[in-house]
Amino acid sequence: MKQIVITGTRKGIGRSLAEYYLEQGWGVVGCSRGEASIEHANYKHYSVDVSDEPAVIEMARDVKRQVGAVDALLNNAGIASMNHCLLTPGSTVNAILQTNVVGTFLFCREFAKLMRKSAQPRIVNFTTVAHPLNLEGEAIYAASKAAVESLTRIMARELAEMRITVNAVGPTPVLTDLIKGVSSEKMDALLARQAIPRYGKAEDVINAVDFFLRPESDFITGQVLYLGGVT
Amino acid sequence: MPTSEEVEILVIESVRLLAEDFDLNTLKQPSAESALYGNDGVLDSMALVNLIADVEEAVSEQFGAAIALADEKAMSARNSPFLNVKTLAQAVLERIDL
Repeated sequence: MKQIVITGTRKGIGRSLAEYYLEQGWGVVGCSRGEASIEHANYKHYSVDVSDEPAVIEMARDVKRQVGAVDALLNNAGIASMNHCLLTPGSTVNAILQTNVVGTFLFCREFAKLMRKSAQPRIVNFTTVAHPLNLEGEAIYAASKAAVESLTRIMARELAEMRITVNAVGPTPVLTDLIKGVSSEKMDALLARQAIPRYGKAEDVINAVDFFLRPESDFITGQVLYLGGVT
Repeated sequence: MPTSEEVEILVIESVRLLAEDFDLNTLKQPSAESALYGNDGVLDSMALVNLIADVEEAVSEQFGAAIALADEKAMSARNSPFLNVKTLAQAVLERIDL
């Protein structure tokens, strides 16, 4: 059974991804800061803060003991904060960078080590259209995802020798907790900047991730795929 | 807490298995003095990455300790812990001891 590690599986897109890969017959290792929200014979959950280095190392060692090699990693866990830069506290900046950048890095580092025996090892990171659209009010969130894109491109080169492909998917706004509290006028204006002006769905993200995970995609690495026609 | 001899045996065995995988003749019968990385070492960076991952896994399996060898201490050390089997075993022991 192929094994996939997905961060941030308690709700939102991460939960949809976990449920989808369970349906597809994968073993799924999920994590979130809270308890599991999925019960399935092939699902294993870790309550972990993705930016807590010792905890991530401990999780990786336990995954190795419990399931052995890992075939894919989806770095979905992320946090956002909509605010004008002049109104953004340093603590918010640190929290966003810790989860989105440090968390993604630590999971790539530790789980790449467990992918060495996989036939088609894959890493998919998560970015956002907020970065290419230079969205006002999302300076720190977009900057953190710009860092994730840079990590993706460089790790793609560093891990190529281990046959691991590293790509990123950049969803448009999807109606999840991440954007609750943002006014509908702002969201409409944002959607209008996409070539296809509608909210994204979990299925759109799953489709893009599936593309990167396909065995035939072993010549595709270091790429960032934005949804909704954003370039 | 494992002894330094036990850790050294673990590192030697990890190096031996790696040498077979990477077909490194000079490391197929490693000893405590075998050079690994830098100076006279025969490991390239990818082989070193693999060795680090192998040793971390073996430490977890045999001693139940979750360690990361590539930490700040290793990066800033005047003498790299990856020079030879003995220095690597010492680095492992120090991290288990934390």
